[in-house]
Amino acid sequence: MAWRNGHAVRVLRFAWLPLLDGCSQKGYWLLHPKGVIARTEWHTTVLDVVVMGVVVLVAGGLVVAFLWRYRAGNTLRRYDPTFTASLVLEILVWGVPLLVVGYLSYFSVKSVFATNPYDPLSLRHALVRPHQADQGLAHRASPARARTTVPGAQEAQPLHVEVVTTDWQWVFIYPQQGIATVDDLVVPVGARVKFDLTSATVVNDFFIPELVGEIDIMPGMRTKQAMIANDTGVYHGYSDDFSGGGFSWMGFDVRVTDHAEFRKWVRRVRAAPDVLSYARFGQIARPTINVAQRVSYFSQVQKGLFDHVIERVMAGKVYRTPLAMTENMTKPMKVRLIP
Amino acid sequence: MLVSYPGPWTPFFGRLDAQQIPLQNPILFWTFVLVSLGGVAVLAAITYLRAWGSLWREWLTSVDHKKIGVMYCLLGIVMLFRGFIDGVMMRTQQAMAVGPRSPGYMGALHGYLPPYHFGQIYSAHGTIMILFAITPILVGLMNIIVPLQIGARDMAYPYLNAVSFWLTAAATGLVMISLFVGDFSHAGWVGLSPLTELAYSPGVGVDYWSWAVQIGSIATTLASINIIVTIIKMRAPGMTWTKMPIFCWTALSTSVVGLSSFPVFTAAVALLSLDRYAGTHFFTPGLGGNLMLYTDLFWIWGHPEVYYVILPAFGILSEIIPTFSEKPLFGYITMAVASIAIGGVSWSVWLHHFFTMGAGPGVNAFFSIASMLVGIPTGVKVFNWAFTLYRGRVRFDVPMLWALAALVLLLIGGLTGMMLAMPAINYTVHNSVFVVAHFHTMLNVVGFACFGAINYWFPKVFGFRLDERTGKRAFWFFSAGTFVLFGSMYALGFMGMPRRIDYIPFPSWRPLLIAEEVGIVLFVIASYYMIKQLVVSIRDRVQNRVTSSDVWGTARSLEWLTHSPVPFYNFAVQPHINARDEWAWRREHGRGAESPEHYEDIHLPINTPLPLILGAWTFALGFSLVWRMYWLAALSLIAIVVLVIARSFQDDPGHTVPGARIREIEASYRNGLEPAGAAGDGAGGPVAYPGAVASRPQDNVPARP
Ligand code: HEM
Ligand SMILES: [Cu+2]
Repeated sequence: MAWRNGHAVRVLRFAWLPLLDGCSQKGYWLLHPKGVIARTEWHTTVLDVVVMGVVVLVAGGLVVAFLWRYRAGNTLRRYDPTFTASLVLEILVWGVPLLVVGYLSYFSVKSVFATNPYDPLSLRHALVRPHQADQGLAHRASPARARTTVPGAQEAQPLHVEVVTTDWQWVFIYPQQGIATVDDLVVPVGARVKFDLTSATVVNDFFIPELVGEIDIMPGMRTKQAMIANDTGVYHGYSDDFSGGGFSWMGFDVRVTDHAEFRKWVRRVRAAPDVLSYARFGQIARPTINVAQRVSYFSQVQKGLFDHVIERVMAGKVYRTPLAMTENMTKPMKVRLIP
Repeated sequence: MLVSYPGPWTPFFGRLDAQQIPLQNPILFWTFVLVSLGGVAVLAAITYLRAWGSLWREWLTSVDHKKIGVMYCLLGIVMLFRGFIDGVMMRTQQAMAVGPRSPGYMGALHGYLPPYHFGQIYSAHGTIMILFAITPILVGLMNIIVPLQIGARDMAYPYLNAVSFWLTAAATGLVMISLFVGDFSHAGWVGLSPLTELAYSPGVGVDYWSWAVQIGSIATTLASINIIVTIIKMRAPGMTWTKMPIFCWTALSTSVVGLSSFPVFTAAVALLSLDRYAGTHFFTPGLGGNLMLYTDLFWIWGHPEVYYVILPAFGILSEIIPTFSEKPLFGYITMAVASIAIGGVSWSVWLHHFFTMGAGPGVNAFFSIASMLVGIPTGVKVFNWAFTLYRGRVRFDVPMLWALAALVLLLIGGLTGMMLAMPAINYTVHNSVFVVAHFHTMLNVVGFACFGAINYWFPKVFGFRLDERTGKRAFWFFSAGTFVLFGSMYALGFMGMPRRIDYIPFPSWRPLLIAEEVGIVLFVIASYYMIKQLVVSIRDRVQNRVTSSDVWGTARSLEWLTHSPVPFYNFAVQPHINARDEWAWRREHGRGAESPEHYEDIHLPINTPLPLILGAWTFALGFSLVWRMYWLAALSLIAIVVLVIARSFQDDPGHTVPGARIREIEASYRNGLEPAGAAGDGAGGPVAYPGAVASRPQDNVPARP
């Protein structure tokens, strides 16, 4: 990520991170981004919080100071009920918020382009200047782990993944490899990954907190997202927009592997007996709560399946949710639980 | 049939059958038992006290703005309690259902609530809290205070006012009955599209939600019209725009926002209902429908709606803080301008609720900047309140405590709002509990302001103070609960926890979820003290009687000029306004209310049961539509139309209270007695005043500028 005054941001970090780092290293996923986009987003957060924090502390400080100084018991202080207007103060009270908002607006616009899901500039920067891309917060914070390049970030051909959500599972299609999975997303480290997303039923939201921010997944429509993962490891992805009874179980693991391992994984999936045709997709799309996040692999995918799903939905195809799986209180829910 | 849905349908009962009463669910069964027992107890008490007659004459049929306001507030507080219980249930479920090994009870895989029950609870919680708790309380407060602050006898349209109230009550009734007959929606207070479509929500839940919010929003639109007209047309002579109290400015701004945004919601929900009843495709994913159109329309209302609730809260703070700082508000003009500006900007920011939909960076940048602009007038307000304290004499009475804590919350909520308004940040916390924490911080600003307002104006309306000791305890526990609960929730937001999950897949979230549960326990204690405060205050009402018109001694605006409790005619003599803070001006100039030799007759509107009846038919309409009992729906619709038309032909002659009677009441106020019949007994009703004569409205027009 290339903030022009990235230095200031890095300095400001020291005022802020220890606070949260102190709480717990574990679990605060947004604070420890492992992807280029997520890191840009976290930078923006820090900057915004620092700027707004100053304003809020000043305002809050004024309130507290005045409360203390002018409390009724304190008769030493001047009481002046005629102090009800002041041009200088008026200019200040409008001017300061105006300046702050102006400053933040500038950063907001910059960061919007940097994280634009359709064409994130921060990815471009990461690709052009891999050595700079890594000077983000997380790595500076722990030099021991610092790696100066995103391995493989120069790769020209991005990995393409098509994502289809059903009630309530994830179908990941790898058109370049001709394979597909349910609830298993594997990507090589340092590679640009481009997602196309759609839903067979209702709206979901694609979110991998440590790697990339959210993008809505809407039926009959296509949205996009892109990311680069910096570190190998297992991350958690899930839907972030309520989609019905199985929503809480709509998680998937994201495994970021090195390139050799990725190729090995692809070969393994290619050996799977199952094949993803539109008819097979129809079975998967039947309302299912995949409680244990059981993954399935498909060695082949019907060509154009993703577009076909969109077209069918636009033509009126619905995967109805049975009454017993919605807010029905009178008859117990009969769920297709995948154990 | 135009649409297909599972389950039987009969012409008479529609989709309703005995199985729809889910008493086999232990939670609902015991709720039902408790509610029935409570209901029977209340009815028995009313009967025992022989209060039916006076209840009917003085409250249920009243068109007096103060009584309607009190009923609004009561309704809101009852619903606040219901919504709170929902909150307790959700927090408990989330604290229990952590990790794959957590046990499940009562049919749930984890925790004690299965997904479809949890979904209903959070949807009901949001819908109730925003539309049927906070909104009625605020409308009630505006109802009570606005006419008093501008020196009017009543609202511009007293009858319409009662209609608004009873429609709100009907809508609330629909939400409540969905507990025991059928189900409520699981698609959130926002009505997530296309989840609300028949294909994905085939039950009656969404219909309950849609008809309830439909009726509620019509009621609020009407209330907005009433408040706007009242403020524009009914100000006392001498009250120019720049002499109007800030609370009225915010009430005006909020009502303009309400009037201009609620109809959008009405339209959006009507289109959704067409989808669900007539098989149209406005918001379906396929066949030409556009589900994002719903999202757009919803937030074009939804965002202004959140400002609809915050603006009166700002007004309340602007009344309380000067009173307890013994100083006029700092920067009055700025505050008025900021109130209008917030209302104005609130119109152009709705897209920030779905930055993640994949709009281009240009669109997101525009709405990001627009959203941040709201921060400017909001910041201005905070600074002005701070400078109001400057060189004041600050006392920490209960209303002031609530107001100051609201200020702190506003700062926190503003900070997080400015975070959410940046798309790059929003992508990481949208739809997470961070957003939930943001708007609970903000809505708690409103809640705190309302509690402050209730403590502040209670003596004015009822003539005795609320107990201070229990009030302070309630305040401290409530504040502690707020910080513990929502502090933890913000932290969980940084962990990426989504909102609306009934099962927590990651055990690393457990400690903070337990902290939230601790927060909710603090809230439970706070509500115990709130109830205790009310009980203790009513018990000690004689000691806590208010004898002067201004309990606080340092209040500033016009409502403190008239007696406490406010007589049914508000002001015996039409006040003439000399200054911005009229009551403070009079106090400083040693002038109280005028007490002339001769009191004019006062003309007031007549009570009528029609709004109540309209409300009852509207409830029937909503209920029958939910269950698709089309004959009853048609019947209720016809009844409503006929009643409305019939009423428009009916002359409302009003009634006149003779000056002699006013003199009696005023004299007894001055002798320190609570005059019989001044605050209550048939206020506005011709029956209660033997001397009252019906007269034509033009005989004695109520006070107008
Ligand atoms: C400084 C001013 C404010 C800004 C910049 C701001 C910004 C935002 C943004 C960007 C969101 C969308 C979050 C998301 O879903 O991703 C949001 C949500 C929300 N805000 Fe604010 N906000 C402000 C003040 C307020 C106030 C005063 C209230 C009302 C009392 C409020 C109530 C809400 C509610 C209810 C939601 C979420 C509704 C939902 O998704 O269920 N906000 N705010
Ligand atoms: Cu908003």
